[in-house]
Amino acid sequence: MRRRVAAGILLALIVVSLLAVWTSKYGYAYQDREMAMVPATAQHWTGTDELGRDRTVRVAAALLIGLGGAAAAAAITTAIAAVVGLLAAFSPAPVAGVLMFVSDVFLSLPWLFLLMMARSLLPLTASPMQMAVITFLVLAALGWPACARAIYSGARTLRSAEWVIQGYASGLRTRQLVRLHIVPHLRPLLLPQFLICVPAFIVAEANLGALGLGIGEPVPSWGSMLMELDNSALLAQSHWVYLPIILLVVVLLLLESFTSEETHA
Amino acid sequence: MLCVAAGTILLVRFAPGFFADEREMDAKYAATARNEMQAAGTQTLSEIAVREVKGWVHGDFGESRQYEVPVTELIAPRIQVSAWLLLRGIFYGWLLALCAALPVSAVRKGGALWGLPFTLLLAMPTAALATACILAEMGGPVLVLALLIAAREFKFLRSALRGTWSSPHMLQGRAQGLPLQALIRVHILPGVAPQLYALATLSVVTALGALVPIEVIFNVPGVGQLAWAAVMNRDLPVLVAVSLLMAFAIGVAGMLSGQKQTLEAAA
Repeated sequence: MRRRVAAGILLALIVVSLLAVWTSKYGYAYQDREMAMVPATAQHWTGTDELGRDRTVRVAAALLIGLGGAAAAAAITTAIAAVVGLLAAFSPAPVAGVLMFVSDVFLSLPWLFLLMMARSLLPLTASPMQMAVITFLVLAALGWPACARAIYSGARTLRSAEWVIQGYASGLRTRQLVRLHIVPHLRPLLLPQFLICVPAFIVAEANLGALGLGIGEPVPSWGSMLMELDNSALLAQSHWVYLPIILLVVVLLLLESFTSEETHA
Repeated sequence: MLCVAAGTILLVRFAPGFFADEREMDAKYAATARNEMQAAGTQTLSEIAVREVKGWVHGDFGESRQYEVPVTELIAPRIQVSAWLLLRGIFYGWLLALCAALPVSAVRKGGALWGLPFTLLLAMPTAALATACILAEMGGPVLVLALLIAAREFKFLRSALRGTWSSPHMLQGRAQGLPLQALIRVHILPGVAPQLYALATLSVVTALGALVPIEVIFNVPGVGQLAWAAVMNRDLPVLVAVSLLMAFAIGVAGMLSGQKQTLEAAA
């Protein structure tokens, strides 16, 4: 029930954001210098930022980019984790040892520090949209080790199940067994991993953005919108500056309700 | 530790941005930065590794590219600042989480409502929480770290404690009229001790991860701020040293937690 309500609200937010981006006459990067830092007006419902950009459109675009990017990155990271976990579980012990050792090395450093390091080492000359893609790809590339360990553990348990032994005895190859039987059985493990990754990636992007390592301007993101809170002149002008952070918390709470229900299930 | 160092060197050396320097955008430093980058570009991986190892053998971890001083000189005074921040943050975070989880785990209804502040905190990125503290002119880095740790650990503590409250020996103890303090001290906390030790390691990982945004936003001269500066300037010797330090801290925390669990099991 709670999950349905959360899904409904999230869907409504996405639809409203899409409408805001598509129907607005201002693009997210359009600057109206004569209307900089204005409070809410009929033209700009939630005011403008210091460059005169419409806040409604920017927040809506940030929501769509953040949610879409995080979901795509979470899907990639879950796929990588599934491949690594399954490979380790159905490989000889030395291979499994090496794969799990690699994931342990990744896990021996705080994730945000690792992200920061990897993200900062990328070229400075990429376009803002390329930077956005790179940011989410870095998140996807570094988010798999914890998931891989969970999948490895789940797959190892399944490997010794009687029906797997029966499958081997019936002449099924490991690849067939994994594709037809193991992966569907791991679905209850993969889905929560994916759902855990989505809010985690949104938070990570926001933190990276606040440190100046996230998605570059003028593409809007949660991180860059949080940086607006450093502008005391803007804060004094309008309370709508707090809209991104409020919306971010709401989105994360909605995603959290998905995760907790799926984990309990 | 060696793998972390090797991984960091590999990551930095083969990163597409290794030959880029933000100073190139500044006309004043562009020429120097370009020369340095050209010199760095001719270095092979083995040369970089040898230089790093030489720095370790020498005991100074090499020379910082941005500050041009030995890395140990940069890190040593900052370790104390960060360690003190971490210790206080983790201690207050655990205290807050325990104080909240103990009564909330005992109530049968309304647990979700009592846990709402922690759920809200969990949905706040560290950077946003730190910025909110600055805007409200309330609290500082210790408060942000403590709130973050409390939010992360509250859920685990609540579920661990909930199981203990309803265990048969606890019901028996309560039926016999044992005072609450004795119940908590003698029966509840020892019962969840193994989980607490495992959680303590996670707390260290969480705290170390949060250290960077907290120190950067609050301008705390600690290792996190240094790591951020090193990352922004692609300062490899500092990055390797900070990575090693973080891996060491997490390794020690994991080892201590494992040791404690083994001792408890043996006892």
